Amino acid sequence: MPDLDDELMERYQKGDENAFTLLVRRHQQPLVNFIARFINDRDSAEDLAQETFIRIFKASDRYKSEGAHFKTWMYHIASNLCKNELRNRGRRDRYRVDNVVNSGSDSEGDTEQIDLIANTPANPVFQPEVALERKELRNAIQKAITELPEQYRLPLVLRDLQGLSYDEISEVLELRSGTTKSRINRARLMLKEKLKPFI
Amino acid sequence: MNCLQAEEYFSAHLEDTLDYQMLQDFEGHLATCETCQLEYARFQESVKTVQQLPQIEPSPHFMAALQQRLDAEQRETDSVKETGKINWTQLLDLFRRPKWVFRGAIALILAAAGIYFSQYASLFDQDPRPAQVAPISQTEQATTSPERPRIELPRFVRGSSQLIPNGAISTPAQPMQQRYMLKQVSYTTTSTSGGL
Repeated sequence: MPDLDDELMERYQKGDENAFTLLVRRHQQPLVNFIARFINDRDSAEDLAQETFIRIFKASDRYKSEGAHFKTWMYHIASNLCKNELRNRGRRDRYRVDNVVNSGSDSEGDTEQIDLIANTPANPVFQPEVALERKELRNAIQKAITELPEQYRLPLVLRDLQGLSYDEISEVLELRSGTTKSRINRARLMLKEKLKPFI
Repeated sequence: MNCLQAEEYFSAHLEDTLDYQMLQDFEGHLATCETCQLEYARFQESVKTVQQLPQIEPSPHFMAALQQRLDAEQRETDSVKETGKINWTQLLDLFRRPKWVFRGAIALILAAAGIYFSQYASLFDQDPRPAQVAPISQTEQATTSPERPRIELPRFVRGSSQLIPNGAISTPAQPMQQRYMLKQVSYTTTSTSGGL
C-alpha cells in the first residue's frame, strides 16, 4: 500500500499542482532542521532545502513509488547537496584562514551556532540562569555534532534528530544495515566524550 | 564480554534490540563493571539530550521563496522548449542517471572493443605473402581433365607463419631447450680457455 507521499507524487505526476505544494508543506520543516543541524548554518539550510525541492520537482517524472520511498529519496538528495556545500566551504575556508585568525574575535562558526540557537523557539519558563545553562548546553551539543566526522554525523543526525529508522538511514546513505548501526553507535560514543563536561 | 565489547552494544541495549544471549552477556558485564555502568549512564544521558534539541523551523517566507525559484525554473524549461536551444541542465541530468545505465554502456563499449580487436588481431595471424600454388603431380595431371586443370590450394596452418602443402607436417624451427644448451657449451669453452 503506497504511503501518502507516494500518492502525492503520483497525483503531481498526473498534473495536480497542489499535490507538490502539499509535499513541500509536509517536509519543509524536517528538511530545514536536518540541513541546519548537519551543516550548522540556518541561512544556507533554507537555500539547500529549496534546492532539494527544486531537484525533486525537476526529477518528478522519473520518480517511481516502487523504488525508494519519497522520504529517503528526499534525504538522499539533501545529504548530497550538504556534502557538496561542506566541500565547497572547505575550499573557500582555505583562503579565508588568515582573515579569521587576524580578526581576534570568535570564529564565524561560533557566531553561526549562537544565531542558530537564538532562532529556536523560546522557553516559556523565564529563568535567566536556567535559560543560559540550557543555551550553553545546546551550543555545546551543536558544536559537538558539528565536530563529528561527516560519515558519523550524517547517520547520527538522521537517527537522533530526524527519527529515521535504521533501514531508512541505510537507504538514504546507501550503506549496509550493520554499517549504519555501528556508525550510529560510534557517533554516540564520540558525542558522549565531547559532552563529558556538561553531563 | 570485556569493556570494549560492551561499548559496542550500548545503542542496541538502549533501543532494546539485543537478542537473549547478548542481553545476558551485556547485563552480566554491566553488573560487575562500575566503569561501564558509569559510561553507559553517560551514554544514555547524552543521547537523550541530543534527541531533545529543539526543532529548527523554516522562516515564514520559505514557501514564497521556493515558489519564486520553481516559477523561474519552469519559465527556463518552457523557453528552452520553445527556442529548441541546448538545455545544459538536462544534459547534465544525463550524468545523474542510475548506475546500471553507465554499467550497461561500459559493457557495450568493452564488447565492441573486444570484437574490433579480435578481428584486428586475426589480420596479424594471416600470412602477408601471396598464396603459393602446389605443384600438380603427373598422375594427378593425367586424371584431371585437360580443359580445366585442378588446382589444390595450400593449407594454412594456424600458429606457424608458413603455408604448408597438403600432407606435409609442420615442425618447429628451433626448440628452445636446444638453443640454451648451445649457449652453455660456448660459454664453457670461452671461460676455460680465457680464464678469469
